[in-house]
Amino acid sequence: MKGESVGVPTAKFLLPPRYQEKLHLLAKSAKQIWKQFRKNRGGMVGLVTLVIFFTVAIFAPWLATHENPDSTSWASINPIYASPSLKFPFGTDYLGRDVYSLTLMGSRASLIVGVVASVISMVLGTLVGVFSGYYGKVADEILMRFTDFFLVIPWLPLMIVFVMLLGASFTNVIIVIGITSWPSTSRIVRAQVMSIKEHTFIERARCVGASDTRIVIKHILPNVVPLIFANTILLIANAIFSESFLAFFGLGDTQVISWGTMLEKAYNSGAFTSFAWWYIMAPGASILILIMAFYLIGDALDEILNPKLRRR
Amino acid sequence: MARDFRSYMARRLLYTLITIFLILTFNFLLFRVMPGDPFRIMVPKGADDLTREHYMDHYGLDEPLIVQYFIYLGQTLTGHLGVSISKFPGSDVESILGPYLDNTLILAGLGTVLSIFVGVFLGRETAWRRGKMADRIGSAFFLVFYCMPTFLFALVLLMLFAHYIPEWPIRGSYGDEYFDLDLPGKLWDRTIHTVLPLFALVIETIATFSIITRSSLIDVLTEEYMVTAVAKGLRGRQVLRGHAMPNAMLPVVTVVAMNVGWIVSGSIMIEIIFSYRGLGVLTYEAVMAQDYPLVQAIFMLETIAVLIANFLADLMLFRLDPRLKV
Repeated sequence: MKGESVGVPTAKFLLPPRYQEKLHLLAKSAKQIWKQFRKNRGGMVGLVTLVIFFTVAIFAPWLATHENPDSTSWASINPIYASPSLKFPFGTDYLGRDVYSLTLMGSRASLIVGVVASVISMVLGTLVGVFSGYYGKVADEILMRFTDFFLVIPWLPLMIVFVMLLGASFTNVIIVIGITSWPSTSRIVRAQVMSIKEHTFIERARCVGASDTRIVIKHILPNVVPLIFANTILLIANAIFSESFLAFFGLGDTQVISWGTMLEKAYNSGAFTSFAWWYIMAPGASILILIMAFYLIGDALDEILNPKLRRR
Repeated sequence: MARDFRSYMARRLLYTLITIFLILTFNFLLFRVMPGDPFRIMVPKGADDLTREHYMDHYGLDEPLIVQYFIYLGQTLTGHLGVSISKFPGSDVESILGPYLDNTLILAGLGTVLSIFVGVFLGRETAWRRGKMADRIGSAFFLVFYCMPTFLFALVLLMLFAHYIPEWPIRGSYGDEYFDLDLPGKLWDRTIHTVLPLFALVIETIATFSIITRSSLIDVLTEEYMVTAVAKGLRGRQVLRGHAMPNAMLPVVTVVAMNVGWIVSGSIMIEIIFSYRGLGVLTYEAVMAQDYPLVQAIFMLETIAVLIANFLADLMLFRLDPRLKV
């Protein structure tokens, strides 16, 4: 045990032995995945990009050149629609605000929405998938019809209707994105649970008297987690897109600076007719690059964890 | 075989009808139960007592929910989709929708056909040249446009055209003097107004279909029966057309079927940006005006359109996949 504890030297002093073993196994499989992941060029490009984006989002207030970019008082100080210069790296907008600072601050909203909404749909999708895959029969039939029903409804109009009915606050946008994007996850989880369920170690666990709950938590979930993880990464890309679209549609929280609300303001303030390309490119390119980063990582993980089962 | 097809079709049709029924139920519950006060949603703001009375009678708002539900079902099935409350106050929704629906059908229909043909073509050509320069450049483009949000691409397109070709019409589904034109003139006017939205709409679906065609075809091309086909003396293109493509098409059709709903969603984004007067623009205006009955009707139409498209795709899949016939 001693020489093998990979990457978690402190853990063995803090944890009881059986968790030490668990942690050790987890670290070992993570290390294996990492070894394959490192060889995937697309995945690595995505990962590096993502680290940069997260760093920027965390340190945004210190990196921004204007402390409170979202204040209307800039109009009297800064020029309106100034093109990129040393003072304003991404130019200024229709109120004379610094687009560079706005873009940095906006990264926070996009990342928060992306991660939190995806966690919501991951939990929902996993619950539905595990339940219907494990219990099968009537439960499976009902849950899968339910899932199919949500898969059929065009999700963009569905999100629009939900946000309209609930009101366009930041929290509501996150919740709505979360509860509209779980069906694909539940399908993938269900398929995986159904194949794991047939293994002999599940039968053995049942023979020694393990309850369903115990089998699901101890034996099935650990085998599904890597797949869920890869799927969640892809969901984040979708959630970021959804947020930016809803904001552009006028269903975003106007109090929050996000790339979507920036684009909406650019569109409605005539940045197009004045050819203020920097005002569109800064949030636009950020959305595109971030989505691509998540997509590349998700795709690489998918390839490693799931070589047979192709997505879609 | 004919009987198989018929029973398969009957099953799919039944399934589609059940789903339509569920969607009607969902649509009813969504707008009646969720926010709490149906008056806020179904009756115009600041209406006098007489108008309120009229709407209450119309939707049966003072009846129990289950009665309201049957009133809703009855009205919807007889083509009464509710009364607009703020966008076109007092008008029947079904009388408003017509021209918008036509415009969207033109855009989404052309978009679907175009993206299938171009997408499959590009996917086939890149797969055939896999590893070469054309494939690498093509695949990079597919990736970028696959990840690019449709509305973002449309925004960039709009900006470039507005700046560099100001003569090009970028707004509306037809010009101001449309109704004074003769037929060829009308057609030309329509075409030139549709080109940009259509291009913006299909670029992402083309990328999606290219990616799936390419990967599916590459899988097939590495199978051993491909070697056999070459060994028996078929030339490259013959192998591609006769042996590889038919086998590679199945996953493609599945993905195309799943993406029909996406084209509906995509057209909403595109229409708003280019002020193309279809259901998407109407959705936007109805949401902005808080016109719930109108949104409810559009949402139902869009969902049912996707269902019908899925049903047609299923039938096509049956034709293509011999395994389903057993």
